[in-house]
Amino acid sequence: MIMELNWGLPVIAYLFLAGVGAGALTVSASILLRGGGGNFGGSHFDMARYGALIAPLPVMLGSGLLILELGSFHAGHWFRFLNLYTVINLSPMSVGTWLLSAFIGLSLVYAYTFMVPDVAPGDRWDVLRRACAWVGVPMGISVAMYTGVLLGAMPSRPFWNSPVLAMIFLFSALSTGVAAIMLARTLFRKFQIRKLEATAASGSSRRTSDLDVEGQYHQSGYILAASDTLLIGLELTAIFLFLIFAYLTVGDVRYAVSVILFGGSLAGAFWFWVIFLGLMLPALIELYYVVQRLLLHQNFSVPLGVEFAVPVIVLIGGFMLRYVVVVAGQITGPVGI
Amino acid sequence: MDEEGLMDKSKAPSQNSRRAFLKGLGASATLAAAAAVRPASAATRPVQYGMLIDTRRCIGCHACSVACKAEFDVPLGNTRSWVEYVEKGEYPNVSRNFLPRLCNHCRHPNCVDVCPTGATYKREEDGIVVVDPDRCIGCKYCVQACPYDARFINPVTGAADKCDFCLHRVSRGIAPACVETCIGRARIFGDLNDPNSEISKKIATNPVSVLRPGMGTEPNVYYIAADHSDEHERRRGSYVRVTTHRKEKERR
Repeated sequence: MIMELNWGLPVIAYLFLAGVGAGALTVSASILLRGGGGNFGGSHFDMARYGALIAPLPVMLGSGLLILELGSFHAGHWFRFLNLYTVINLSPMSVGTWLLSAFIGLSLVYAYTFMVPDVAPGDRWDVLRRACAWVGVPMGISVAMYTGVLLGAMPSRPFWNSPVLAMIFLFSALSTGVAAIMLARTLFRKFQIRKLEATAASGSSRRTSDLDVEGQYHQSGYILAASDTLLIGLELTAIFLFLIFAYLTVGDVRYAVSVILFGGSLAGAFWFWVIFLGLMLPALIELYYVVQRLLLHQNFSVPLGVEFAVPVIVLIGGFMLRYVVVVAGQITGPVGI
Repeated sequence: MDEEGLMDKSKAPSQNSRRAFLKGLGASATLAAAAAVRPASAATRPVQYGMLIDTRRCIGCHACSVACKAEFDVPLGNTRSWVEYVEKGEYPNVSRNFLPRLCNHCRHPNCVDVCPTGATYKREEDGIVVVDPDRCIGCKYCVQACPYDARFINPVTGAADKCDFCLHRVSRGIAPACVETCIGRARIFGDLNDPNSEISKKIATNPVSVLRPGMGTEPNVYYIAADHSDEHERRRGSYVRVTTHRKEKERR
């Protein structure tokens, strides 16, 4: 099949990066608002901090990539994209432009509240930080979801024209956001452990657990692994609904979905990279460790290699999901003329 | 579209006659008044330009495509107007039909719905869907949204481009270039909202069809005897080959 891809790698990368950023901010804000006290209070704050510091970067990078895809940019009208800011209409792209701009602004302020010297829960930036988090949760969800609405708004693209697509993108964004925080946490593992040691040495007022420092570090990863398992489960459910409704219909949508079903040109990419590597495998690995604590009440402990590999394959799967969806939508169209 | 038009027409004379009756005029005066009012209401009634293509008269000569290229200096590799060949059947039962294509100037243009800058819009005065190349940022959303693949990004302007029914000619009362050049006189251009126009009469008295009616866009380009065979029919085992004569070799 020879088809021109009007939306290529920059758009695929944007959908992925914006998802990671929006997910990271939503998760970070949720952890911050939920995890103020308790046993993991300090660790929660660190996780919220990782998410906050990650969030603006991929979204800004992805938005920048979008400009590279514009026809006006290719023709030398480099700043023509500013026309987007002269209009507000119900085009999902117009709504998305304003949402993204607001999101980038908010995420930068939110990130700044974590970059101040001697950052700690309850410091003088706390009010602003929490205010940003309250706005950040719905805004992150909106940014994660609008791209699915954008693709879904066209009857001429039957593969995309599904209300479930936005939900798939939302769950994928949240789970890749969690993965980004997990990855950051693993990469800065030493820093984290050193901080726990310092806390233990100073004998702070926080309720001390009977675990050693290493154990405390592992415990704090439980919330990420558990929520990621849940999010991947929800994503698989949404993908199942997407597939089964497309499969059980006739006509345009049925023909379109056949490119990712067995025998289709994108079946390999979809079933191996997205479903198996990006979703099933990480979910099963995480489940293995989560269940030990959830059902058997053992201490949560994950080997370093696994702790690194799981978020990496989740992120690869998230990218491949955007790749398969964007390409499949463009190589299929309405049946008949 | 026709339903609303009919409703307008059925309402207008009855209101006129009612007004005339109240004025105490006679029956003949009522008719005269109604007739006198008619041109005025026609002038205020919005025009919806449309095209009727009688594919039985098309010989697949591509003169329309060439005229369009010349009229707009369309860059190499892009087409605002093109002719598809539809070949089907197995010897000796074979046929080749021609399907001239262009923007459908739909009643519900999805391209307009998705445009984030308002660069593409449907003109209220004549129903032509146009693109403002200075506003357009070339995001290709409309290119994706058009079920007819009528749009492309003009590499020179960087903006979305497509057929505009030769707006510069039509606004001066001249037929579009493809209509003027068609040697088979397969194309009829005119106002679909005027029941007395040639195109309206032909549509009313012939079996006509539009492309992809299931998309809900309600095209304003009509066809007589269009071959709606599609390459998807190969799945049923019958031979169909569509040659689009475009850079994109296959229909969307």
